[in-house]
Amino acid sequence: MPETPFDETLERILAYPEAPDGTEADGFVVDVMARVRRAQRRRQLILAAFGGIGALFGLAGATLLADPIGRLLAVETLSATTLMQGALLTCGAVAFYVWVMGDDLTLQR
Amino acid sequence: MISDAELVARVVGADDPAAFQVLVERHQAPVRGFLRRLLAGDHGTADDLAQETFLTAYRRLGDLKTGASLSSWLHSIAYRQFLQHLRRHERQRVVPEPPDAGHDPRTAVDAEYLAPRLLAEVSPPERACLTLAYAAGMSHGEISDVTGLPVGTVKSHITRGKQKLQNWLKEHDHSIPPEALSLKEARGA
Repeated sequence: MPETPFDETLERILAYPEAPDGTEADGFVVDVMARVRRAQRRRQLILAAFGGIGALFGLAGATLLADPIGRLLAVETLSATTLMQGALLTCGAVAFYVWVMGDDLTLQR
Repeated sequence: MISDAELVARVVGADDPAAFQVLVERHQAPVRGFLRRLLAGDHGTADDLAQETFLTAYRRLGDLKTGASLSSWLHSIAYRQFLQHLRRHERQRVVPEPPDAGHDPRTAVDAEYLAPRLLAEVSPPERACLTLAYAAGMSHGEISDVTGLPVGTVKSHITRGKQKLQNWLKEHDHSIPPEALSLKEARGA
């Protein structure tokens, strides 16, 4: 964008220092990648820990609720047809919501 | 050559560290150069902030909008890292030493010597706008995206900064002989 001789002078003075030599650049990349891998491991560890806890809660819940759910499904009012209708209704409601929100489920726009 | 967009997609989609490494290799020089200029020559801190910049970029790469320039986005993260650093170290801001007494600046008109001293004369936002305009060759709009400042403010920072630098160069009798600059270029080649 030099327009005047002073612009040209500034462009030359402020130009970035010569690119770091190979060793320095490699060292920088190695350091960044080591930190990235550490962050990646930490993220996987957190996901595994929370996933494990979630799975345990799910298992415990399923064991605790197995009997009541079994009894509920045995009742005539909650027949397979009713459940199917309920599932269809829910899918329809979700599809309508997605259509109304223009796919912006997170409301970022 | 694989495009930045493809590499970003690989990192976001498959958490591919090799793809991210290529992005770091490709963009490390301008990001480090930008921070070195903003920190008026403090290369150690500049490289620390550049590392933080790439780590933040890795964590937030999913936020990069489709079609947006990765380089501008990295520069904006680097600028925010720099502002945070300034806030943390406000009381112990380092100002580069003035040229030695008896030193004839005309014999050592080396950009690496002059640039930190010149940039220490302007405010941090002016420094960022001037560096992005003259070193990175960005347009006013791009600088506005990087710094988050309105285009009008960017223009006035550049004009005011340029004026200050011109005055400083005049006060210190720093006429820049072309041969000194070509000397530097020859060294860089």
